[in-house]
Amino acid sequence: MPDNSFEFALERMFAEAPRRPDSDLFAARVLERLDRGWTARRALIGAMGVMGGLIGAGQLLGAGALHELAAFGARSNDYVTQHLPPELASLAAPAGLPAGAQAIWMAAALALVAAGFGVARLVREI
Amino acid sequence: MANPPIRRPALASAHDLELVGFAAGGDRAAFGELVRRHNSLVRGLLRRMGADGPTADDVAQDAFLTAFEQIAEFRGEGAFRAWVSRIAARLYVRRWRRQAKADLMAEASEMESGTPSHAPAADARIDLDEALKSLSEPERICVSLCYGAGLSHAEAATALNAPLGTVKSHVKRGLDKLRSRLSPDGDGGQRSKVSA
Repeated sequence: MPDNSFEFALERMFAEAPRRPDSDLFAARVLERLDRGWTARRALIGAMGVMGGLIGAGQLLGAGALHELAAFGARSNDYVTQHLPPELASLAAPAGLPAGAQAIWMAAALALVAAGFGVARLVREI
Repeated sequence: MANPPIRRPALASAHDLELVGFAAGGDRAAFGELVRRHNSLVRGLLRRMGADGPTADDVAQDAFLTAFEQIAEFRGEGAFRAWVSRIAARLYVRRWRRQAKADLMAEASEMESGTPSHAPAADARIDLDEALKSLSEPERICVSLCYGAGLSHAEAATALNAPLGTVKSHVKRGLDKLRSRLSPDGDGGQRSKVSA
């Protein structure tokens, strides 16, 4: 901390910097680097999301999740047809269709993609 | 980029604290205005610490980018320019230490002799920039950290990874030299920038 007038004057001199002629150019360069950094960060987040999705999909396929889903769909269909009135059973029919499991899988994948977008947006906001 | 939720005034007329608030919300134009306002001070400080032009600009850019990243931590207790100056000074010290251009302790022998590392030309205009050249590199850095960036002796010692006593010694010797150069009764004489 300054203890005399000379030191105060010295602080004042340090604070009195003349405006540099390329000040605006310098600011533009800083903002350019800032934008570059954000672009790189977004690309990195996207790449990590894709990689995570691929790994997740690989794990699900490897664990036979599709077969499990198909079996679950078939069981659901049987239950619905046996225990529910025909009017309600017709509403639940897609789960029992041959492509029912794939539909569920696609819905799950879309949910994952939506979650990825959500996380990317959240990171951007933070 | 989404617009800030609060309608902002014209950037050029906004107070620094307002700009900081907008920048903290992701408004890069507001941050750009802060950079425009204060980059000359930061770059000047780095030059006074001994950085050459390109190095000073490089470190100053890094400092502003760091400031943007950490702007939520700026509480407005001091001036934004002082805050970003401290960031820049610390970044430069880190780089200076990494390059191992000088050893703070080794410079003591030069200080003992009292020989300035750069003697200003006789007809040179005596101002702070010239006067700082009469200091050894560690003296210049220590004085700039304490009086340009506003660090305490202890903070400067931490930044420099040097003993507190060594930093105090550099500051004292640097101040003595500057006082003799800049004070009205010193070498600077009538051309001194420090008025009574």
